[in-house]
Amino acid sequence: MHENVAVVGSGSWGTTIAKILGDNNVPTLLWARREDACREINETRQNEKYLPGARLGESIRATHDLQEVCERCKAIVMVVPSHGVRQVAFDMGHYLTGEHVMVHAVKGIEVDTFKRISEILREETCVKKIGVLSGPNLARELAAQQPAGTLVASRFNEVFKRFHKALHNNYFRVYGGRDVVGAEVGGAFKNIVALAAGIVDGLGLGDNTKALLLTRGMAEMGKLGAAMGADLLTFGGMAGIGDLMATCASPLSRNHQVGERLAKGETLEQIRAAMFMVAEGVKTTRAVHAYAQYKGLDLHIVAAVHRLLYEGATVPEAIRDLMAVPTGAEFDGNLR
Amino acid sequence: MRPEDRDRIQVEVVSRIVENHMKRARSAPEGYLETLVNDTLYHEQQRLKRESSSKRVRDDKSFYGGIKRRMRHASDHDLRGLIDEMSRHFVREVVGNFDDRVYKLSTSVIPTGLSLLLNAQSPARLFSLENLRDGLADHLIVQGEVDHVRGLLDHGTLVVVPTHSSNLDSPLLGYAAHLMGLPPLLYGAGLNLFTNPMISFFMRNLGAYRVDRKKNAGLYKEVLKEYATVAMEMGYHNLFFPGGTRSRSGAIEQHLKKGLLGTAVRAYVGNLKAKKAKPNIYVAPCTLSYKLVLEAETLIDDHLKEVGKSRYIISDDEFSRPRRIYNFFSNLVSLDAKILITFSPPLDLFGNPVNRQGESLDPHGRVIDPAGYVSRDGEPVYDDQRDHEYTNEVASEIGRAYMEHNVIQSTNLVAFSIFNLLSRKNPDLDVYRILRTGGDEPSFTMADVHVETERVLSTLDEMEAGPRLERDLRRGDIQEIVGDALKTFALYHTRPAARRRGDRVFHDDRNLLLYYGNRLRGYDLGRKLGVNWA
Repeated sequence: MHENVAVVGSGSWGTTIAKILGDNNVPTLLWARREDACREINETRQNEKYLPGARLGESIRATHDLQEVCERCKAIVMVVPSHGVRQVAFDMGHYLTGEHVMVHAVKGIEVDTFKRISEILREETCVKKIGVLSGPNLARELAAQQPAGTLVASRFNEVFKRFHKALHNNYFRVYGGRDVVGAEVGGAFKNIVALAAGIVDGLGLGDNTKALLLTRGMAEMGKLGAAMGADLLTFGGMAGIGDLMATCASPLSRNHQVGERLAKGETLEQIRAAMFMVAEGVKTTRAVHAYAQYKGLDLHIVAAVHRLLYEGATVPEAIRDLMAVPTGAEFDGNLR
Repeated sequence: MRPEDRDRIQVEVVSRIVENHMKRARSAPEGYLETLVNDTLYHEQQRLKRESSSKRVRDDKSFYGGIKRRMRHASDHDLRGLIDEMSRHFVREVVGNFDDRVYKLSTSVIPTGLSLLLNAQSPARLFSLENLRDGLADHLIVQGEVDHVRGLLDHGTLVVVPTHSSNLDSPLLGYAAHLMGLPPLLYGAGLNLFTNPMISFFMRNLGAYRVDRKKNAGLYKEVLKEYATVAMEMGYHNLFFPGGTRSRSGAIEQHLKKGLLGTAVRAYVGNLKAKKAKPNIYVAPCTLSYKLVLEAETLIDDHLKEVGKSRYIISDDEFSRPRRIYNFFSNLVSLDAKILITFSPPLDLFGNPVNRQGESLDPHGRVIDPAGYVSRDGEPVYDDQRDHEYTNEVASEIGRAYMEHNVIQSTNLVAFSIFNLLSRKNPDLDVYRILRTGGDEPSFTMADVHVETERVLSTLDEMEAGPRLERDLRRGDIQEIVGDALKTFALYHTRPAARRRGDRVFHDDRNLLLYYGNRLRGYDLGRKLGVNWA
């Protein structure tokens, strides 16, 4: 017997998570901001705009009523864009109780405050049993039931157990962990690298270049993670290298798409106008860059992407600058 | 503890422990109960070997001798009996002996003992108990959220969690509780607190139970925890130092021990399961701020030894010398120095603030039901891992409250400033070299000390999340502040931390300067002031 689970946010990833729950016959409430979106889902069992072609199981019902969501479901997955989390969480806060468990699957960071999503949930609600769901989870592959895995990290074992029970199945493997910070940093940071990887692909550069980028991207992820208190081991798992590989390899990733278009000479404004879905990496770059400067961390790839997005640099300039960064020991320490 | 509860709590503690082990034995490999009895025997016998002979030690030896004999060929049923007996033996000691002693001592023996002591050591300065007590009332200031905390008595059970600087903390808190109109606080006191007749007078307002730190059998620790849990469920208010031990370095403790806080969550679940009318348990953090700390010299010495990896257990410190305690209090009176007890806003067991009606609030001040945190489908359930995390949660809130309500006195500010000068004038020396050598100059000019103190004070003033400043510091008369600190240092310690001669200030005891200055650690002042020691 499954408990009721809510998915708050009906973008492509939110709809996908709901679909997995539906495939597991979990009674699921899917919250959408707009009433017509709810109607479409309830009437056609589809979310054509965000997850075209995927059929949503009968155990799923869409609603736009947050009170109903919180009162009927004690287990909630938050999947709204990072800039919307604070407001939605505050609104839910009127109805949430200490009994609720919550994971978020938002791979971003609040730009102005550099707060992680779990910190925002803590600041806006009374919920303590919070976790993060993160991994190499491209929505469309999962919607097609291709084998994949993910991480649910929480300091509370109960959070892992309940979401494992609801989500794990024969095509989606759910692993557990304790390092919430690491999972959040990994998930947010890889979007920046994915943007850069999109540029590499857009320029038609080869695998050596991509490997160089990804490896040094991991090194920067580690530096940032260490500064924020993450367990570096996490970056070797689903939410670190796993997510990085999938996002950087796949043309399906929105961040990757932004990079490719930048490489072809489009400006950020043009790309934004053309894409209706959010590429979290664009905002995350700004947030991480500001934080790195404040903390005095040398994150060269982040700085290069930042110059490209916000400081008017061209792609060749950004690459030239990156390749001009002096090298020393691959990892911190003496070269003797 | 009320006499009618003493028997009840013993029975309850023992039966919970025995039941718990019988339950575990059912799913554990064979030999579980035997191992438990053996383990307890082993630790107790090892302890008894180390203790010097006394009636208690002889009694214990014969008690455990009996257990050992009966262990051979014992059935599971017999082993259960032995566990029951040993638990009862422990709990009797925890509950028992103390009360009679303290109540008798505090009413009759103390005044005689005290005047004898004073007569013997200082015949000219007869100091009556009343004077001492009245003097203390003038010098002990209880401030902050006092009314709020007192008001919570109507809504549930209190756990008072203070910072820990000195062995005087618990008696002073007992006295403060009395001044606040709180009922006696239950307190697990180490054996050393029972040997000092001057102190036990003030323990009257602490319903102290006995904690023997030399006993390290697991079963004994279970008894202590279960005792605290059951007492809380019975509605006894508790006093508990989350720092575990007196702060050795002088800094505000941030690594908090979670033992007893964890039992509070357990007691809360127990209350909910029993459908008690007032199940709530509240955490009341408070800081103690001394201008002078009785044991400062020994504590910082121990801290530095610990850093140098040769930690020892303090068995003889200022606290065990009545003369020092007497000096300490008489200096306190003559200096008009204040001991400040500052209460922060109270919390629930999950780190949420509570309002005056005792209701828990979410971060936006919306009322929430704390029972939800320990419930599944509306029913309260035990879950050790979950509760462990809640305890971490509340511990970090307590740590935050300590930092915010830490009250800085002139001695802290001036010691910190002089150490800054030491560090600034000897940029090549680290803290330990400064302590050892004192750097290039044995003294600084008064002007230098004034300027540095002014700098630190104005930085503190500007900080949003800084500590609280004692009244005289808030007035900001630097000359007065520095003068007061130097006068205070000169009066009590064996060697003054710093001493004025002519127009210069000599840093005589740099360990003490570090100790008193450390109270300002943790506020990122090193970075703000450009010094590397803090």
